[in-house]
Formats: sequence, structure tokens, C-alpha cells
Amino acid sequence: MNNPTIRNWLGFSTLALMLASLFMVFDYVPPDAEMGIAQLIFYYHVPLAWVAFASFGLVAIAGIFYLWLGDQLWDDLGYAAAETGMVFCTLMIIAGSIWAKPIWGTWWTWDSRLTMTFILWLMYGGYLMLRASADDTPQVARFGAVIGIVAAMDVPIVIVSVRLWRTIHPAVLVTKQGTHGLEDPRMVWTLLVSLTAFTLLWAWFLMLRFTQLRTRSRMSKLAGRIALATVAASDPK
Amino acid sequence: MRKDLRLELRSGESTLALLALSMLVLVVLVFALGAARVRSVDAAAGALWVAMVFAGMLGANRALLAERDNGAIRGLLLSPLDPSTLYAAKLCAALIFMAVAEVGAVILMVLFFNLDFDASMARLAPILVLGAIGFSALATLLSAITGRTRGGDMLLPILAVPIFVPALIAGVKASAAALAGAPFESMGDWLKIMIAFDVLFVTAGYLLFEHVVGGE
Repeated sequence: MNNPTIRNWLGFSTLALMLASLFMVFDYVPPDAEMGIAQLIFYYHVPLAWVAFASFGLVAIAGIFYLWLGDQLWDDLGYAAAETGMVFCTLMIIAGSIWAKPIWGTWWTWDSRLTMTFILWLMYGGYLMLRASADDTPQVARFGAVIGIVAAMDVPIVIVSVRLWRTIHPAVLVTKQGTHGLEDPRMVWTLLVSLTAFTLLWAWFLMLRFTQLRTRSRMSKLAGRIALATVAASDPK
Repeated sequence: MRKDLRLELRSGESTLALLALSMLVLVVLVFALGAARVRSVDAAAGALWVAMVFAGMLGANRALLAERDNGAIRGLLLSPLDPSTLYAAKLCAALIFMAVAEVGAVILMVLFFNLDFDASMARLAPILVLGAIGFSALATLLSAITGRTRGGDMLLPILAVPIFVPALIAGVKASAAALAGAPFESMGDWLKIMIAFDVLFVTAGYLLFEHVVGGE
């Protein structure tokens, strides 16, 4: 994980695929017949949503492993995933809003998926505020793990409840007829390239942040050891 | 353990504060909504749940602050008690406080929102009990976390309210239906959501509480 070569390789392939997806979105793919150019943001909105939800899943998984094994590595991974997930979730909501303004005529509406995403965003905002309001001790790491698990457990109930509440969000990938709504094969290709590009970008961000947190944990451990050694050395007995 | 709970109950201080808070929330909402909307059952159900969430938050914070100020939580952890048992006891205490606050809030709601004491109250009761169980289960677990961080009193609502949202949606909808005189069958889905929420969070709290309080 800490290998700089892998990291650089990941960064460069992200860049290449991002450029490719930009080209495909603006030059290759035909715009949607009804929605026109606004529909193009779909190719960023969906990959952003996918990586945001993947990171929140990762927070919960890392939380379970942390409580189970107690290794600081899992906490660093969970924290890194929560931060990256928050960035992508925010971008996803912004991209969705930009699309919704011309299509729905409003920046925001209390549709079920929007509500669900917003609640998720609030939950992980709370997680990050908790982490920010306390020092990095094993106790706070456990708190973070518990919040991550509880929040992930809550997601299915949130989905059911907001769906019963109301929905107008378009179902593109799996429509009500059970097929997908992308009629042109070029649309599918563009989406796939964008998905890969964003997944790589996500993995790259996650890796950078994770490496940084690992270094920090190791340094605080070393600092503790130095402090102990200093006390032992200065002790006249 | 029970002695501990009764001591808190007997002082009456927290209960009074909870009742006062629910009353203030209802008064603020009556002014905020205006006279025209105050007559609708939807507004009444919404106001009732706002009062409940605020009261629950205050209750959870107060219960934990009392423990922390006396250093009692440390003592409880040193005793040969299972953390899960401790959680169950804390949950019961929170539930009792919330139930008292709810009874008060319902009476005030009926008076402020010009409703009648009739059969719809009987249908409202199980919904409120389900809501109180879910909220207490969540708040008891989370307040053990926020009670030990800086700015903890502020963090509790920030963490608890988003997680409570499904039960809140279901509770408001079911309460409005109950106040409108609808039978139980018509709100089956909402009740199922609330029951699922309660089961999930009581279990989660029971299992995870150990990780939250342990290792001090």
C-alpha cells in the first residue's frame, strides 16, 4: 500500500482515463434526445455516487475490523474512507443539483434518493466532526468505528422509509421495466470509462490519505516511545 | 442499578426540565406555524415529534452529565457488571424520562392544537412508545460517545438526528394518521419501519456499548 511506484502509476492512469472520459463526454457520446446537454453530467454524477457509497461502505467494514482486531491500520483506513467519501458525496450532490435545475426546474427537492443521500452526508459529517473534536486516541478510534457501523446499519431503513415517503428520481441504470435506460452503446462506453476513471481517482485519494494517516499513527507511536525513553533516561534511579 | 435510576427519578429535576422544554417547543411551533395551520393534525403530529426529539436529546445529555460529574460511570464500570447490562439499565432510565415527557407533550399538544381527548389518543400511544424506544436506544449509545469528547453536548444532536430520520419520518406519518382517526392497518408500513428501527438499534446498542465505554 505504501509503495510510491504504485501510487504514481495510479495517479497517472487516473489522469489518462479522466482525460479520455472528458473527451468521450463532450465529443463522442450523443446527448440525450429529451434532456439535451444537461444529461451529460450523468456521466460524472453516477461515478461520483458509486465511489461515495463505496467509501461509506468501507467506513463500516473498517469499523467492524477495527473493533474485532484492534489494529490501528483499520481505523486509519476508515478515517481516510470517510474523508474521501465526504468529498465525493458533496461533489455528487452538487453535480445532481446542476442537472436538476434545468430538468426539474429546482436545485433541490425532497425526493427519496436525494433525501437518502443528504441524510448519509449528514451522518458522515457528524462522523468527521466527532473525529475533529477529539484527539486521535484508541478511544476515539472506537467511537468512530461504532458511528460508522451504526450509520451503515441505518442506511437500509432510511432507504425504505424515504421511498415510502416520496420519489421522482429517474431510474436510469435499472428502470422499472427491468432494462437499462441507455439506448446508445456509446452511452454505455462513456459511462464505463467515467466509472473506471472515478474509481481510480477515488483509490488514489484514498491511498494518499491512508498513507498519510499511517505515517501519523506511526509517528505518534514513536513520539510516545521517545517520551518514555526520555523519562527513563532522566530518572536518577 | 435500579436504585441508581430511582434516585434520579426522585429528584424530579430532569423530568421537570424535560416537560418545560417540550412545552416551550410546542409554544414556539404554535407561533411559527400561525393560527391557520395550528388546526391541522399534520402540524400537531409534527410538533409533537419535534418536542419529543428535543426532550430526548436533553434527557440523554443530562443523564450522562450527572454520571460524569460524579465520576459515577467509572465506578459503575469497576463494579462486576456487564457493560451490556449497564446499557440496558441506562436505556430503561432514558425511556422512563422520555415517556413522562411524552405524556406531558401529548396533553399540551391536545390543548394547544385544539384537538380532542378521544380514541385517537389510544392509537397514538403505541406509536410514541415505539419512537421513544428507538430514540432512547440510539441516544443512550451516542451520548456515551459524545459525553467523552470536547463539545459533546453539541455533537449529540448532530450524530443522533440524521440516524433517527427513518423512525422520525415513520413516526410523524403514523401519528398524523392516528390523530386523523385512521385504523392501525392503514399505517402498517410505518409501524414496521419503526419496529425494525427499534430492534436494530436496541441490538446495536447492546452489542456496541461495551466498545464505547470499555478500555478506560
